[in-house]
Amino acid sequence: MSARSVAQEFFACLQSGDADKVSGLLASGATVALVPLGVTGTMAGEGAAYLQALAEAFPDLMVRTRRLFVTADNAAVAEVTLDGTQAADFLGAVNQEKHFDLDQAWILQVDDQDRITAVTGYWCQNQAYRRLGVKRLDKISITAR
Amino acid sequence: MSTSPVSPAATRATSAQATAESFFDAYRRRDVEAMVDLCADNAKFRYVPFEVWARQRVVRGDGQVCTVGKAIWTTLIDAFPDLSNSVTSVRGDEDGNVAVEVSIGGTQARDFGVIASRGGHYDLPHLFLLHVDGDGFIDDIVAYWDSADWQKQLDWLEVD
Repeated sequence: MSARSVAQEFFACLQSGDADKVSGLLASGATVALVPLGVTGTMAGEGAAYLQALAEAFPDLMVRTRRLFVTADNAAVAEVTLDGTQAADFLGAVNQEKHFDLDQAWILQVDDQDRITAVTGYWCQNQAYRRLGVKRLDKISITAR
Repeated sequence: MSTSPVSPAATRATSAQATAESFFDAYRRRDVEAMVDLCADNAKFRYVPFEVWARQRVVRGDGQVCTVGKAIWTTLIDAFPDLSNSVTSVRGDEDGNVAVEVSIGGTQARDFGVIASRGGHYDLPHLFLLHVDGDGFIDDIVAYWDSADWQKQLDWLEVD
């Protein structure tokens, strides 16, 4: 394994919604920061909850890796695109069965045992809301048809 | 005086990181010309969250540094005259790729796109992915941030 292959495995799990398999990639106490959601915590807790919500809301989710490089400190940096069709409410946005595509960037810090120690995700939540028909940031559950 | 051996790969990564740091130093000085001077002539530019949905088309922050990038930076600094940044991490690889986590913020003095000026202040985490070519010039800039957080800080709650 290498940081690159660990990252490829991570995004395969993101696509399949397999939180259990993700846990096999993690070091003990691996942390997560989902920057647009203001969420920080552990991958076992907050990270797994996000992956589960994503999988439930978009059961046909596709994750396409557009760029992947590994830095000198063994961080895998990736740009990915998520594609799917909404099938359940997601982060407060009601389900309108809309198509969803979202570009994201992730930093996965990998240790010398090829385990992920820290996950950081960046994306534009405004773009996500726009795709899902949300019209106002203070009323996420109110959507346009 | 002895010098420690430095691999060419480490040198490339270190050099690319230094170029990235110079870019954000120039940005902190709000010196757009210096920012552009650090970039190759045809450097690519993509601000991922930047999209304006009009009735017939979507305008995206996608093009070249010398055209789209320079215009966005100039307009942003005009709207936020005290715009500044604080770099929190810089990571590079041996191929000239650099990832920079940076907080950018400022106080709004003029309208910016659809965001009407109410004099608000924002501080927003960004991730920049740069590529530095073999001559030491930035030839690709991609940036991610969350416009929902940005707009909320500036009291603009419309998604479109």
